[in-house]
Amino acid sequence: MARSLPDSVRSHAFDAPENIAITMGSRSHTYGQLWREIIAFAEWLKGTGFKAGDRAAIVLANCPEAVIACYGTWMAGGIAVPMNSQAKSRELAPWLRHCDPAVLIHESGNTDMEPLLESLATRPRLLVVGEEPKRIPGARFNEVVASRSLSVETVSAPRLDDTPAMILFTSGTTGSPKGVTLSHRNIASNAAAVIEYLELTAADSIVSVLPFYYAYGNSVLSTHLAVGGRVVLELNMVFPHAVVETIARERVSGFSGVPSTFALLLSRVDLSRHDLGSLRYLTQAGGPMAVALTRRLLSALPSARLFVMYGQTEATSRLTWLPPEMLGSKIGSAGKAIPGVEIEIRSGRQRSIGADGIGEVWARGENVMLGYWRDEARTSEVLSDGWLRTGDMGRIDADGYLFLEGRRTDMIKVGANRIYPNDVEEAIAEFPGIAEVAVVGIEDELLGQVVKAFIVPGVAGSVDKMAVLAHCRAGLAPYKIPKHIEFVDALPKTASGKINRGALAVAAVTREES
Amino acid sequence: MDESRQIRNFILKNFLFSEDEGSLSDEESLIASGAIDSTGVLELIMFIEETFQIKVADEEMIPENLDSVQKIIAYLHGKRSSQG
Repeated sequence: MARSLPDSVRSHAFDAPENIAITMGSRSHTYGQLWREIIAFAEWLKGTGFKAGDRAAIVLANCPEAVIACYGTWMAGGIAVPMNSQAKSRELAPWLRHCDPAVLIHESGNTDMEPLLESLATRPRLLVVGEEPKRIPGARFNEVVASRSLSVETVSAPRLDDTPAMILFTSGTTGSPKGVTLSHRNIASNAAAVIEYLELTAADSIVSVLPFYYAYGNSVLSTHLAVGGRVVLELNMVFPHAVVETIARERVSGFSGVPSTFALLLSRVDLSRHDLGSLRYLTQAGGPMAVALTRRLLSALPSARLFVMYGQTEATSRLTWLPPEMLGSKIGSAGKAIPGVEIEIRSGRQRSIGADGIGEVWARGENVMLGYWRDEARTSEVLSDGWLRTGDMGRIDADGYLFLEGRRTDMIKVGANRIYPNDVEEAIAEFPGIAEVAVVGIEDELLGQVVKAFIVPGVAGSVDKMAVLAHCRAGLAPYKIPKHIEFVDALPKTASGKINRGALAVAAVTREES
Repeated sequence: MDESRQIRNFILKNFLFSEDEGSLSDEESLIASGAIDSTGVLELIMFIEETFQIKVADEEMIPENLDSVQKIIAYLHGKRSSQG
Protein backbone atom coordinates (compact mmCIF):
# COMPACT_ATOMS: atom_id res chain seq x y z
CA MET A 1 0.00 0.00 0.00
CA ALA A 2 1.51 3.27 -1.05
CA ARG A 3 -0.90 5.43 0.91
CA SER A 4 -1.10 6.73 4.43
CA LEU A 5 -4.21 5.64 6.31
CA PRO A 6 -5.98 9.01 6.07
CA ASP A 7 -5.24 9.02 2.34
CA SER A 8 -6.95 5.62 2.01
CA VAL A 9 -10.04 6.82 3.88
CA ARG A 10 -10.06 9.93 1.70
CA SER A 11 -10.11 7.81 -1.45
CA HIS A 12 -13.01 5.69 -0.15
CA ALA A 13 -14.91 8.88 0.69
CA PHE A 14 -14.73 9.92 -2.98
CA ASP A 15 -14.94 6.48 -4.64
CA ALA A 16 -17.67 4.97 -2.47
CA PRO A 17 -19.14 7.79 -0.36
CA GLU A 18 -22.34 5.88 0.49
CA ASN A 19 -20.56 2.80 1.84
CA ILE A 20 -20.81 2.43 5.60
CA ALA A 21 -17.53 2.91 7.48
CA ILE A 22 -18.64 2.69 11.12
CA THR A 23 -21.76 1.41 12.85
CA MET A 24 -22.50 1.80 16.52
CA GLY A 25 -25.95 0.79 17.69
CA SER A 26 -28.41 2.61 15.47
CA ARG A 27 -25.83 5.18 14.29
CA SER A 28 -23.86 4.71 11.09
CA HIS A 29 -21.30 6.89 9.34
CA THR A 30 -20.80 6.52 5.62
CA TYR A 31 -17.29 7.15 4.28
CA GLY A 32 -18.53 10.44 2.80
CA GLN A 33 -19.93 11.63 6.12
CA LEU A 34 -16.94 10.37 8.06
CA TRP A 35 -14.59 12.29 5.80
CA ARG A 36 -16.60 15.52 6.02
CA GLU A 37 -16.50 15.32 9.82
CA ILE A 38 -12.78 14.49 9.80
CA ILE A 39 -12.06 17.59 7.72
CA ALA A 40 -14.34 19.78 9.84
CA PHE A 41 -12.51 18.54 12.93
CA ALA A 42 -9.12 19.24 11.32
CA GLU A 43 -10.22 22.76 10.38
CA TRP A 44 -11.43 23.42 13.91
CA LEU A 45 -8.08 22.19 15.26
CA LYS A 46 -6.14 24.45 12.92
CA GLY A 47 -8.41 27.33 13.88
CA THR A 48 -7.37 26.91 17.51
CA GLY A 49 -3.73 27.44 16.57
CA PHE A 50 -2.93 23.71 16.45
CA LYS A 51 0.27 23.21 14.47
CA ALA A 52 1.96 20.30 12.69
CA GLY A 53 3.48 18.00 15.31
CA ASP A 54 1.12 19.12 18.08
CA ARG A 55 -0.57 16.39 20.08
CA ALA A 56 -4.29 15.72 20.56
CA ALA A 57 -5.12 13.50 23.54
CA ILE A 58 -8.19 11.37 22.85
CA VAL A 59 -9.70 9.98 26.07
CA LEU A 60 -12.66 8.16 24.60
CA ALA A 61 -14.13 4.68 24.63
CA ASN A 62 -14.64 3.27 21.13
CA CYS A 63 -17.07 5.49 19.24
CA PRO A 64 -17.20 7.25 15.84
CA GLU A 65 -15.93 10.44 17.50
CA ALA A 66 -12.72 8.66 18.54
CA VAL A 67 -12.10 7.78 14.88
CA ILE A 68 -12.92 11.28 13.66
CA ALA A 69 -10.64 12.83 16.29
CA CYS A 70 -7.73 10.56 15.33
CA TYR A 71 -8.00 11.04 11.56
CA GLY A 72 -8.85 14.73 11.97
CA THR A 73 -5.70 15.20 14.02
CA TRP A 74 -3.70 13.57 11.23
CA MET A 75 -5.34 15.83 8.66
CA ALA A 76 -4.23 18.82 10.75
CA GLY A 77 -0.66 17.46 10.71
CA GLY A 78 -0.78 16.45 14.35
CA ILE A 79 -0.09 13.39 16.48
CA ALA A 80 -3.08 11.47 17.85
CA VAL A 81 -2.68 10.18 21.41
CA PRO A 82 -5.51 7.74 22.20
CA MET A 83 -5.65 7.19 25.96
CA ASN A 84 -7.36 4.56 28.07
CA SER A 85 -10.85 5.88 28.75
CA GLN A 86 -11.07 3.73 31.88
CA ALA A 87 -8.00 5.39 33.40
CA LYS A 88 -8.35 7.61 36.45
CA SER A 89 -6.81 11.04 36.89
CA ARG A 90 -3.73 9.70 38.70
CA GLU A 91 -3.06 7.46 35.68
CA LEU A 92 -3.88 10.02 33.00
CA ALA A 93 -1.92 12.91 34.52
CA PRO A 94 1.61 11.48 33.89
CA TRP A 95 0.70 10.67 30.27
CA LEU A 96 -0.66 14.15 29.68
CA ARG A 97 2.34 15.83 31.28
CA HIS A 98 4.63 13.69 29.16
CA CYS A 99 3.01 14.28 25.77
CA ASP A 100 1.87 17.85 26.55
CA PRO A 101 -1.19 17.91 24.26
CA ALA A 102 -2.58 21.09 22.76
CA VAL A 103 -6.08 19.60 22.78
CA LEU A 104 -7.85 17.02 24.95
CA ILE A 105 -11.02 15.29 23.74
CA HIS A 106 -13.07 13.58 26.45
CA GLU A 107 -16.50 12.18 27.11
CA SER A 108 -19.13 14.12 28.99
CA GLY A 109 -19.70 12.82 32.49
CA ASN A 110 -16.07 11.79 32.98
CA THR A 111 -15.81 12.75 36.62
CA ASP A 112 -12.03 12.37 36.60
CA MET A 113 -11.59 15.32 34.26
CA GLU A 114 -11.92 18.06 36.87
CA PRO A 115 -9.27 16.74 39.29
CA LEU A 116 -7.12 15.81 36.31
CA LEU A 117 -7.18 19.30 34.83
CA GLU A 118 -6.45 20.85 38.20
CA SER A 119 -3.31 18.72 38.47
CA LEU A 120 -1.85 19.95 35.17
CA ALA A 121 0.40 22.99 34.95
CA THR A 122 -0.65 23.65 31.36
CA ARG A 123 -4.27 23.09 30.50
CA PRO A 124 -4.96 21.79 27.00
CA ARG A 125 -7.92 23.14 25.05
CA LEU A 126 -10.93 20.91 25.74
CA LEU A 127 -13.43 19.30 23.41
CA VAL A 128 -16.37 17.42 24.91
CA VAL A 129 -18.20 14.48 23.31
CA GLY A 130 -21.84 14.18 24.39
CA GLU A 131 -24.09 16.38 26.44
CA GLU A 132 -22.28 18.03 29.30
CA PRO A 133 -23.54 20.46 31.85
CA LYS A 134 -21.32 23.51 31.44
CA ARG A 135 -19.19 22.43 34.38
CA ILE A 136 -15.97 22.24 32.44
CA PRO A 137 -15.46 24.83 29.74
CA GLY A 138 -14.84 23.42 26.30
CA ALA A 139 -16.13 23.23 22.77
CA ARG A 140 -18.74 20.61 21.86
CA PHE A 141 -17.73 17.86 19.46
CA ASN A 142 -21.07 17.70 17.65
CA GLU A 143 -20.97 21.44 16.97
CA VAL A 144 -17.39 21.26 15.70
CA VAL A 145 -18.02 18.48 13.19
CA ALA A 146 -21.35 19.92 12.06
CA SER A 147 -19.65 23.00 10.66
CA ARG A 148 -19.56 23.05 6.89
CA SER A 149 -16.08 22.50 5.63
CA LEU A 150 -14.81 24.37 2.58
CA SER A 151 -11.87 22.18 1.79
CA VAL A 152 -13.30 18.65 1.71
CA GLU A 153 -12.56 18.31 -2.00
CA THR A 154 -9.17 19.94 -2.08
CA VAL A 155 -7.39 18.97 1.09
CA SER A 156 -4.51 16.52 0.74
CA ALA A 157 -3.79 13.76 3.25
CA PRO A 158 -0.48 13.24 5.08
CA ARG A 159 2.18 11.44 3.06
CA LEU A 160 3.41 7.96 3.78
CA ASP A 161 6.56 8.94 5.63
CA ASP A 162 8.25 8.86 9.01
CA THR A 163 6.29 11.77 10.45
CA PRO A 164 5.01 10.81 13.93
CA ALA A 165 1.30 9.98 13.73
CA MET A 166 0.37 8.35 17.02
CA ILE A 167 1.56 7.84 20.58
CA LEU A 168 0.27 4.83 22.52
CA PHE A 169 1.16 4.66 26.20
CA THR A 170 2.03 1.17 27.35
CA SER A 171 2.64 1.92 31.02
CA GLY A 172 1.59 4.66 33.24
CA THR A 173 2.19 5.85 36.66
CA THR A 174 5.82 5.05 37.31
CA GLY A 175 7.00 8.59 36.83
CA SER A 176 8.28 8.13 33.31
CA PRO A 177 5.54 6.86 31.04
CA LYS A 178 6.44 4.88 27.94
CA GLY A 179 4.83 6.44 24.88
CA VAL A 180 5.27 4.26 21.82
CA THR A 181 5.60 6.69 18.92
CA LEU A 182 4.41 5.40 15.55
CA SER A 183 4.77 7.03 12.16
CA HIS A 184 2.32 7.08 9.27
CA ARG A 185 4.63 4.57 7.57
CA ASN A 186 4.59 2.26 10.63
CA ILE A 187 0.80 2.20 10.79
CA ALA A 188 0.18 1.87 7.05
CA SER A 189 2.79 -0.86 6.53
CA ASN A 190 1.49 -2.96 9.43
CA ALA A 191 -2.09 -2.55 8.17
CA ALA A 192 -1.00 -3.60 4.67
CA ALA A 193 0.59 -6.80 5.98
CA VAL A 194 -2.52 -7.76 7.97
CA ILE A 195 -4.78 -6.95 5.01
CA GLU A 196 -2.66 -9.24 2.84
CA TYR A 197 -2.88 -12.35 5.00
CA LEU A 198 -6.51 -11.81 6.08
CA GLU A 199 -7.34 -11.09 2.40
CA LEU A 200 -9.49 -8.14 3.44
CA THR A 201 -11.57 -6.23 0.90
CA ALA A 202 -14.20 -3.50 0.96
CA ALA A 203 -16.80 -6.26 1.26
CA ASP A 204 -15.51 -7.18 4.71
CA SER A 205 -16.95 -6.01 8.01
CA ILE A 206 -16.02 -6.74 11.59
CA VAL A 207 -17.47 -6.47 15.08
CA SER A 208 -14.84 -4.77 17.21
CA VAL A 209 -14.81 -5.04 21.00
CA LEU A 210 -11.12 -4.13 21.36
CA PRO A 211 -10.36 -0.55 22.42
CA PHE A 212 -8.70 1.74 19.87
CA TYR A 213 -6.27 2.94 22.56
CA TYR A 214 -4.62 -0.48 22.46
CA ALA A 215 -2.49 -1.56 19.52
CA TYR A 216 -4.67 -4.57 18.66
CA GLY A 217 -7.94 -2.61 18.60
CA ASN A 218 -6.26 0.16 16.65
CA SER A 219 -5.04 -2.36 14.10
CA VAL A 220 -8.54 -3.82 13.67
CA LEU A 221 -9.85 -0.33 12.95
CA SER A 222 -6.97 0.67 10.64
CA THR A 223 -7.06 -2.45 8.52
CA HIS A 224 -10.80 -2.33 7.89
CA LEU A 225 -10.92 1.40 7.13
CA ALA A 226 -7.88 1.06 4.86
CA VAL A 227 -9.76 -1.36 2.58
CA GLY A 228 -13.03 0.53 2.72
CA GLY A 229 -14.69 -2.07 4.93
CA ARG A 230 -17.12 -1.61 7.79
CA VAL A 231 -16.38 -1.58 11.51
CA VAL A 232 -19.26 -2.36 13.89
CA LEU A 233 -18.52 -1.15 17.40
CA GLU A 234 -19.43 -2.99 20.58
CA LEU A 235 -17.98 -1.51 23.74
CA ASN A 236 -16.95 -4.59 25.69
CA MET A 237 -17.55 -8.24 26.46
CA VAL A 238 -19.55 -7.73 29.67
CA PHE A 239 -22.63 -9.01 27.84
CA PRO A 240 -21.36 -11.62 25.37
CA HIS A 241 -24.89 -12.40 24.30
CA ALA A 242 -25.34 -8.86 22.97
CA VAL A 243 -22.06 -9.14 21.01
CA VAL A 244 -23.15 -12.42 19.40
CA GLU A 245 -26.51 -10.92 18.47
CA THR A 246 -24.70 -8.03 16.80
CA ILE A 247 -22.47 -10.42 14.83
CA ALA A 248 -25.58 -12.29 13.64
CA ARG A 249 -27.69 -9.19 12.94
CA GLU A 250 -24.98 -7.27 11.08
CA ARG A 251 -23.83 -10.36 9.15
CA VAL A 252 -20.19 -9.38 9.64
CA SER A 253 -17.35 -11.35 8.10
CA GLY A 254 -14.86 -10.99 10.95
CA PHE A 255 -14.42 -10.94 14.70
CA SER A 256 -11.26 -10.26 16.69
CA GLY A 257 -10.45 -11.05 20.28
CA VAL A 258 -7.99 -11.98 22.97
CA PRO A 259 -8.24 -15.39 24.67
CA SER A 260 -10.72 -14.12 27.29
CA THR A 261 -13.01 -12.76 24.54
CA PHE A 262 -13.39 -16.25 23.13
CA ALA A 263 -13.58 -17.86 26.59
CA LEU A 264 -16.50 -15.57 27.42
CA LEU A 265 -18.24 -16.29 24.11
CA LEU A 266 -17.95 -20.03 24.48
CA SER A 267 -18.83 -20.23 28.16
CA ARG A 268 -21.74 -17.80 28.23
CA VAL A 269 -23.52 -18.15 24.89
CA ASP A 270 -24.87 -21.19 23.08
CA LEU A 271 -23.41 -20.27 19.70
CA SER A 272 -25.33 -23.03 17.92
CA ARG A 273 -28.55 -21.06 18.52
CA HIS A 274 -27.31 -18.14 16.41
CA ASP A 275 -26.69 -17.91 12.70
CA LEU A 276 -23.01 -16.95 12.59
CA GLY A 277 -22.39 -18.35 9.13
CA SER A 278 -21.32 -14.93 7.82
CA LEU A 279 -18.05 -15.15 9.79
CA ARG A 280 -15.15 -15.76 7.42
CA TYR A 281 -12.25 -14.95 9.75
CA LEU A 282 -11.50 -14.77 13.45
CA THR A 283 -8.30 -13.25 14.75
CA GLN A 284 -6.74 -13.99 18.13
CA ALA A 285 -3.83 -12.19 19.71
CA GLY A 286 -3.02 -10.85 23.16
CA GLY A 287 -1.24 -13.88 24.53
CA PRO A 288 -1.42 -17.62 24.02
CA MET A 289 -4.84 -19.26 23.98
CA ALA A 290 -5.22 -22.70 25.56
CA VAL A 291 -5.24 -25.47 22.97
CA ALA A 292 -8.53 -26.83 24.33
CA LEU A 293 -10.18 -23.42 23.95
CA THR A 294 -8.86 -23.09 20.39
CA ARG A 295 -10.34 -26.48 19.50
CA ARG A 296 -13.72 -25.60 21.06
CA LEU A 297 -13.78 -22.35 19.11
CA LEU A 298 -13.04 -24.07 15.81
CA SER A 299 -15.72 -26.63 16.44
CA ALA A 300 -18.31 -24.01 17.48
CA LEU A 301 -17.66 -21.80 14.42
CA PRO A 302 -16.76 -24.22 11.63
CA SER A 303 -17.24 -21.71 8.80
CA ALA A 304 -14.65 -19.27 10.16
CA ARG A 305 -10.88 -19.44 9.71
CA LEU A 306 -8.91 -18.68 12.87
CA PHE A 307 -5.79 -16.53 12.53
CA VAL A 308 -3.53 -16.69 15.58
CA MET A 309 -1.26 -13.66 15.75
CA TYR A 310 1.49 -12.21 17.89
CA GLY A 311 2.96 -8.75 18.17
CA GLN A 312 3.42 -5.78 20.41
CA THR A 313 2.71 -2.07 20.50
CA GLU A 314 6.35 -1.24 19.71
CA ALA A 315 5.83 -3.05 16.40
CA THR A 316 2.61 -1.07 15.72
CA SER A 317 0.66 -4.23 16.42
CA ARG A 318 1.51 -7.40 14.50
CA LEU A 319 4.76 -9.33 14.06
CA THR A 320 3.72 -12.89 13.23
CA TRP A 321 0.68 -14.86 12.09
CA LEU A 322 -0.21 -18.52 11.95
CA PRO A 323 -2.00 -19.50 8.73
CA PRO A 324 -5.28 -21.22 9.70
CA GLU A 325 -4.37 -24.37 7.76
CA MET A 326 -1.27 -24.74 9.97
CA LEU A 327 -3.27 -24.77 13.23
CA GLY A 328 -3.28 -28.56 13.20
CA SER A 329 0.41 -29.16 12.67
CA LYS A 330 1.74 -26.07 14.47
CA ILE A 331 -0.75 -25.61 17.27
CA GLY A 332 0.77 -23.55 20.06
CA SER A 333 2.91 -21.58 17.61
CA ALA A 334 2.65 -17.80 17.21
CA GLY A 335 3.28 -18.36 13.50
CA LYS A 336 5.71 -16.92 11.02
CA ALA A 337 6.75 -13.34 10.31
CA ILE A 338 4.11 -11.20 8.60
CA PRO A 339 4.94 -9.76 5.16
CA GLY A 340 7.74 -7.19 5.37
CA VAL A 341 8.93 -8.29 8.81
CA GLU A 342 11.94 -10.39 9.84
CA ILE A 343 12.20 -12.10 13.19
CA GLU A 344 15.20 -13.80 14.76
CA ILE A 345 16.14 -15.31 18.07
CA ARG A 346 19.18 -13.97 19.88
CA SER A 347 20.94 -15.18 22.96
CA GLY A 348 23.18 -12.58 24.51
CA ARG A 349 25.41 -11.32 21.72
CA GLN A 350 24.80 -14.39 19.61
CA ARG A 351 22.46 -13.85 16.67
CA SER A 352 20.45 -16.47 14.80
CA ILE A 353 21.15 -19.26 17.24
CA GLY A 354 19.68 -21.97 15.01
CA ALA A 355 16.47 -23.95 14.91
CA ASP A 356 14.75 -24.48 18.25
CA GLY A 357 17.38 -22.61 20.26
CA ILE A 358 15.66 -20.53 22.95
CA GLY A 359 16.49 -16.86 23.21
CA GLU A 360 14.99 -13.41 22.95
CA VAL A 361 12.76 -12.50 20.01
CA TRP A 362 14.02 -9.58 17.88
CA ALA A 363 12.17 -8.11 14.92
CA ARG A 364 12.81 -5.75 12.04
CA GLY A 365 10.44 -4.11 9.59
CA GLU A 366 8.67 -0.92 8.61
CA ASN A 367 6.26 -1.48 11.49
CA VAL A 368 8.92 -0.98 14.18
CA MET A 369 8.22 2.20 16.13
CA LEU A 370 10.19 5.43 15.85
CA GLY A 371 10.94 5.14 19.58
CA TYR A 372 9.50 6.08 22.95
CA TRP A 373 8.26 9.66 23.04
CA ARG A 374 10.97 11.96 24.36
CA ASP A 375 12.88 9.09 25.97
CA GLU A 376 16.11 8.32 24.15
CA ALA A 377 17.52 6.19 26.95
CA ARG A 378 14.64 3.73 26.96
CA THR A 379 14.46 3.80 23.17
CA SER A 380 18.11 2.76 22.90
CA GLU A 381 17.42 -0.16 25.25
CA VAL A 382 15.03 -1.75 22.75
CA LEU A 383 16.02 -0.39 19.32
CA SER A 384 19.37 -1.32 17.84
CA ASP A 385 20.44 -1.08 14.18
CA GLY A 386 16.82 -1.04 13.06
CA TRP A 387 15.97 -4.11 15.15
CA LEU A 388 13.41 -4.22 17.96
CA ARG A 389 14.15 -6.19 21.09
CA THR A 390 10.71 -7.51 22.07
CA GLY A 391 11.45 -8.71 25.61
CA ASP A 392 9.71 -11.99 24.76
CA MET A 393 11.51 -15.31 24.89
CA GLY A 394 10.99 -17.91 22.21
CA ARG A 395 12.35 -20.33 19.62
CA ILE A 396 11.93 -20.72 15.87
CA ASP A 397 11.54 -24.27 14.59
CA ALA A 398 13.12 -25.70 11.45
CA ASP A 399 10.10 -24.61 9.37
CA GLY A 400 10.41 -20.99 10.51
CA TYR A 401 7.52 -21.00 13.02
CA LEU A 402 7.87 -19.05 16.24
CA PHE A 403 7.01 -20.61 19.59
CA LEU A 404 6.92 -18.21 22.54
CA GLU A 405 8.42 -19.40 25.79
CA GLY A 406 7.32 -16.67 28.18
CA ARG A 407 7.99 -13.02 28.77
CA ARG A 408 10.85 -11.46 30.55
CA THR A 409 8.68 -8.91 32.30
CA ASP A 410 6.13 -9.33 35.09
CA MET A 411 3.28 -7.83 33.10
CA ILE A 412 -0.19 -9.05 34.10
CA LYS A 413 -2.83 -9.60 31.41
CA VAL A 414 -6.44 -9.14 32.48
CA GLY A 415 -8.65 -9.71 29.45
CA ALA A 416 -7.38 -7.35 26.75
CA ASN A 417 -5.63 -5.14 29.32
CA ARG A 418 -1.95 -5.24 30.26
CA ILE A 419 -0.94 -4.18 33.72
CA TYR A 420 2.48 -3.36 35.10
CA PRO A 421 2.54 -4.51 38.75
CA ASN A 422 4.33 -1.29 39.73
CA ASP A 423 1.35 0.81 38.68
CA VAL A 424 -0.95 -1.02 41.09
CA GLU A 425 1.66 -1.29 43.85
CA GLU A 426 2.31 2.45 43.81
CA ALA A 427 -1.39 3.19 44.19
CA ILE A 428 -1.84 0.73 47.07
CA ALA A 429 1.33 1.92 48.82
CA GLU A 430 -0.19 5.41 49.04
CA PHE A 431 -2.84 4.05 51.42
CA PRO A 432 -1.98 4.80 55.06
CA GLY A 433 -0.71 1.98 57.25
CA ILE A 434 0.84 -0.18 54.56
CA ALA A 435 4.49 -1.16 54.98
CA GLU A 436 4.96 -3.06 51.76
CA VAL A 437 2.92 -4.37 48.88
CA ALA A 438 3.42 -6.60 45.87
CA VAL A 439 0.95 -7.65 43.21
CA VAL A 440 1.00 -10.63 40.87
CA GLY A 441 -1.29 -12.04 38.22
CA ILE A 442 -3.11 -15.23 39.07
CA GLU A 443 -4.93 -17.47 36.66
CA ASP A 444 -8.60 -16.80 35.98
CA GLU A 445 -10.78 -19.09 33.93
CA LEU A 446 -12.46 -16.28 31.99
CA LEU A 447 -10.13 -13.29 32.04
CA GLY A 448 -6.84 -15.17 31.71
CA GLN A 449 -5.42 -13.47 34.79
CA VAL A 450 -6.65 -11.25 37.60
CA VAL A 451 -4.66 -9.13 40.03
CA LYS A 452 -3.81 -10.40 43.50
CA ALA A 453 -2.18 -8.08 46.06
CA PHE A 454 -0.04 -9.19 48.98
CA ILE A 455 0.03 -6.50 51.64
CA VAL A 456 2.32 -6.22 54.66
CA PRO A 457 0.58 -3.96 57.21
CA GLY A 458 2.70 -1.29 58.95
CA VAL A 459 3.42 -1.07 62.66
CA ALA A 460 -0.15 -0.05 63.44
CA GLY A 461 -1.24 -3.56 62.56
CA SER A 462 -4.53 -4.10 60.78
CA VAL A 463 -5.55 -2.49 57.52
CA ASP A 464 -9.17 -2.41 56.34
CA LYS A 465 -9.45 -4.44 53.14
CA MET A 466 -12.59 -2.63 51.93
CA ALA A 467 -10.91 0.72 52.46
CA VAL A 468 -7.90 -0.40 50.43
CA LEU A 469 -10.20 -1.52 47.62
CA ALA A 470 -12.13 1.77 47.74
CA HIS A 471 -8.81 3.60 47.53
CA CYS A 472 -7.85 1.52 44.48
CA ARG A 473 -11.18 2.22 42.85
CA ALA A 474 -10.66 5.95 43.26
CA GLY A 475 -7.22 5.91 41.67
CA LEU A 476 -7.01 2.98 39.26
CA ALA A 477 -8.80 1.84 36.13
CA PRO A 478 -11.34 -0.83 37.17
CA TYR A 479 -9.46 -3.76 35.60
CA LYS A 480 -6.41 -2.97 37.77
CA ILE A 481 -8.30 -3.30 41.07
CA PRO A 482 -7.16 -6.48 42.84
CA LYS A 483 -9.71 -9.28 42.82
CA HIS A 484 -7.89 -10.81 45.77
CA ILE A 485 -6.04 -9.25 48.69
CA GLU A 486 -4.01 -11.21 51.19
CA PHE A 487 -2.37 -9.73 54.26
CA VAL A 488 1.02 -11.27 55.03
CA ASP A 489 3.78 -10.70 57.58
CA ALA A 490 6.55 -10.35 54.98
CA LEU A 491 7.17 -10.60 51.24
CA PRO A 492 9.59 -13.14 49.79
CA LYS A 493 12.80 -11.45 48.58
CA THR A 494 15.63 -12.43 46.29
CA ALA A 495 19.24 -12.40 47.47
CA SER A 496 19.57 -8.84 46.19
CA GLY A 497 16.57 -7.71 48.23
CA LYS A 498 14.08 -7.43 45.36
CA ILE A 499 10.59 -8.82 45.73
CA ASN A 500 10.53 -12.39 44.47
CA ARG A 501 7.44 -12.26 42.28
CA GLY A 502 7.93 -15.81 41.07
CA ALA A 503 7.59 -17.13 44.63
CA LEU A 504 4.60 -14.86 45.24
CA ALA A 505 2.83 -16.08 42.10
CA VAL A 506 3.28 -19.69 43.20
CA ALA A 507 2.03 -18.81 46.70
CA ALA A 508 -0.95 -16.99 45.21
CA VAL A 509 -2.02 -19.96 43.12
CA THR A 510 -1.59 -22.41 45.99
CA ARG A 511 -3.61 -20.30 48.42
CA GLU A 512 -6.44 -19.42 46.05
CA GLU A 513 -6.84 -23.10 45.19
CA SER A 514 -6.83 -24.30 48.78
CA MET B 1 -35.40 -3.93 52.86
CA ASP B 2 -36.85 -3.01 49.46
CA GLU B 3 -35.44 -4.66 46.34
CA SER B 4 -33.70 -1.64 44.91
CA ARG B 5 -31.90 -1.08 48.20
CA GLN B 6 -30.84 -4.72 48.36
CA ILE B 7 -29.40 -4.54 44.86
CA ARG B 8 -27.74 -1.19 45.49
CA ASN B 9 -26.15 -2.43 48.71
CA PHE B 10 -24.78 -5.51 46.97
CA ILE B 11 -23.20 -3.39 44.23
CA LEU B 12 -21.84 -0.86 46.71
CA LYS B 13 -20.23 -3.51 48.87
CA ASN B 14 -18.87 -5.78 46.17
CA PHE B 15 -17.96 -3.46 43.32
CA LEU B 16 -17.69 0.07 44.68
CA PHE B 17 -16.30 -0.90 48.11
CA SER B 18 -18.43 1.73 49.78
CA GLU B 19 -21.26 2.00 52.30
CA ASP B 20 -22.30 5.40 51.05
CA GLU B 21 -25.70 4.88 49.41
CA GLY B 22 -25.38 8.28 47.80
CA SER B 23 -22.48 7.10 45.66
CA LEU B 24 -24.73 5.07 43.35
CA SER B 25 -27.95 6.33 41.83
CA ASP B 26 -30.60 3.95 40.52
CA GLU B 27 -30.10 5.25 36.98
CA GLU B 28 -26.31 5.10 36.85
CA SER B 29 -24.85 2.78 34.21
CA LEU B 30 -22.90 0.04 35.95
CA ILE B 31 -20.74 -0.55 32.88
CA ALA B 32 -20.00 3.06 31.97
CA SER B 33 -19.04 3.79 35.59
CA GLY B 34 -16.71 0.80 35.58
CA ALA B 35 -18.60 -0.80 38.47
CA ILE B 36 -18.97 -4.18 36.78
CA ASP B 37 -16.82 -6.07 34.30
CA SER B 38 -17.11 -9.47 32.64
CA THR B 39 -16.73 -11.36 35.91
CA GLY B 40 -18.58 -8.79 37.98
CA VAL B 41 -21.70 -9.30 35.91
CA LEU B 42 -21.60 -13.02 36.71
CA GLU B 43 -21.43 -12.25 40.43
CA LEU B 44 -24.35 -9.85 40.02
CA ILE B 45 -26.41 -12.48 38.20
CA MET B 46 -25.69 -15.07 40.91
CA PHE B 47 -26.80 -12.57 43.54
CA ILE B 48 -30.03 -11.78 41.66
CA GLU B 49 -30.82 -15.48 41.18
CA GLU B 50 -30.21 -16.38 44.81
CA THR B 51 -31.84 -13.35 46.37
CA PHE B 52 -34.93 -13.12 44.20
CA GLN B 53 -35.34 -16.82 43.40
CA ILE B 54 -35.38 -16.46 39.63
CA LYS B 55 -33.34 -17.91 36.78
CA VAL B 56 -31.66 -15.40 34.48
CA ALA B 57 -31.67 -16.98 31.04
CA ASP B 58 -28.65 -16.56 28.75
CA GLU B 59 -30.53 -14.32 26.35
CA GLU B 60 -31.64 -12.09 29.23
CA MET B 61 -28.02 -11.24 30.09
CA ILE B 62 -28.07 -7.98 28.16
CA PRO B 63 -27.47 -4.37 29.21
CA GLU B 64 -31.18 -3.54 28.83
CA ASN B 65 -31.85 -5.83 31.83
CA LEU B 66 -28.76 -5.42 33.99
CA ASP B 67 -26.94 -2.14 33.40
CA SER B 68 -28.43 -0.16 36.31
CA VAL B 69 -30.36 -0.73 39.52
CA GLN B 70 -33.44 0.68 37.79
CA LYS B 71 -33.08 -1.71 34.85
CA ILE B 72 -32.62 -4.69 37.14
CA ILE B 73 -35.80 -3.78 39.04
CA ALA B 74 -37.74 -3.39 35.78
CA TYR B 75 -36.37 -6.73 34.60
CA LEU B 76 -37.43 -8.44 37.85
CA HIS B 77 -40.94 -7.02 37.55
CA GLY B 78 -41.21 -8.09 33.92
CA LYS B 79 -39.92 -11.54 34.75
CA ARG B 80 -42.46 -12.04 37.53
CA SER B 81 -45.41 -10.78 35.51
CA SER B 82 -44.47 -13.06 32.59
CA GLN B 83 -44.37 -16.00 35.01
CA GLY B 84 -47.86 -15.05 36.12
